[in-house]
Amino acid sequence: MPFDRDSGRGTLLQRWQVSPFFAGCVLGIGAAVIQGYFKVIPPVAYGVCMVCHPKDLLNWIAAHTIGVDWEYSIASIQAPLLTVPGVLAGSWFAASRNGELRIRPAHQPVLYFACGFFTINLGLVLGSCPIRLVLLAAYGNPKGIAEWLLVVIGVVGGALVARLLARWRAKEML
Amino acid sequence: MSVSLATLLLGFVIGYLGQRSRLCFISGYRDILLTGDRSSLMGPVGCFVGAIVGFAAVSLLGGNVPGYPMIRHMNIPMMISDAALPFLCAVGIGVLGYMVGGCPFRMHVLAAEGRRTYWYYLAGFYIGLLFFNVVTTRIVEWLTS
Repeated sequence: MPFDRDSGRGTLLQRWQVSPFFAGCVLGIGAAVIQGYFKVIPPVAYGVCMVCHPKDLLNWIAAHTIGVDWEYSIASIQAPLLTVPGVLAGSWFAASRNGELRIRPAHQPVLYFACGFFTINLGLVLGSCPIRLVLLAAYGNPKGIAEWLLVVIGVVGGALVARLLARWRAKEML
Repeated sequence: MSVSLATLLLGFVIGYLGQRSRLCFISGYRDILLTGDRSSLMGPVGCFVGAIVGFAAVSLLGGNVPGYPMIRHMNIPMMISDAALPFLCAVGIGVLGYMVGGCPFRMHVLAAEGRRTYWYYLAGFYIGLLFFNVVTTRIVEWLTS
């Protein structure tokens, strides 16, 4: 049944308003359960990571198909971690069920390409994505807490620099 | 095989919930600074609370959470002294996340919605992953040796 946005008519699943807090809670509990009972470990607090799990999956596939010796975590030695295909399938399903799935044109493709390129390289040197940093902090890892704070500092610093640049450009135009 | 199925299922659930709730681990910090909106910030807060509850519960129920809580078993000064490069990377991830308006999880969700801008992000992301395997690992080994 297609979701009618104007009248709000649809199935219970379509009308369900999910809060970010609830989604975050499910992610946090799920990551703990998957480590505790499904052996997604070592390293610890590895239940969800959006830079390490893609690396593990790609390197696992490469090792089992073309035989290259690219490193992947002990957690994925037995079988590949399929978090990323799951996220893509889940969000595609949610978007299609709620009438939000449509091809939209690209803006600033070079900037986004470059940001993706550098994000994964920095993330893999760090060994975490912003999600795993929160999981590490919850696991009581002081380094995880410090790195989470540094990500926040990076975001805030970026916002302040962008704001200063915008003011400077506005002054120049006047 | 249970690892693959479990991660696929968890990924599907958080992908679904992430799309419905606009869950992001970067935009909350930006929004509270620029607009004062706290709703996006509740995602990381919820994850932190959920993970604390989850790890504590799994630990109490005898699940596999070695060394939990980690803060009791770590040499903090030694660990911090080895962390200059990761700390720089953490700041870099924050800046890049601000520039594109979200964390890698959010970028995957937006790409799955059909937004082509984020397809370019993912193209850069996965080409960057190959680059990491071939080049960056060697640079990091050289820097840390």
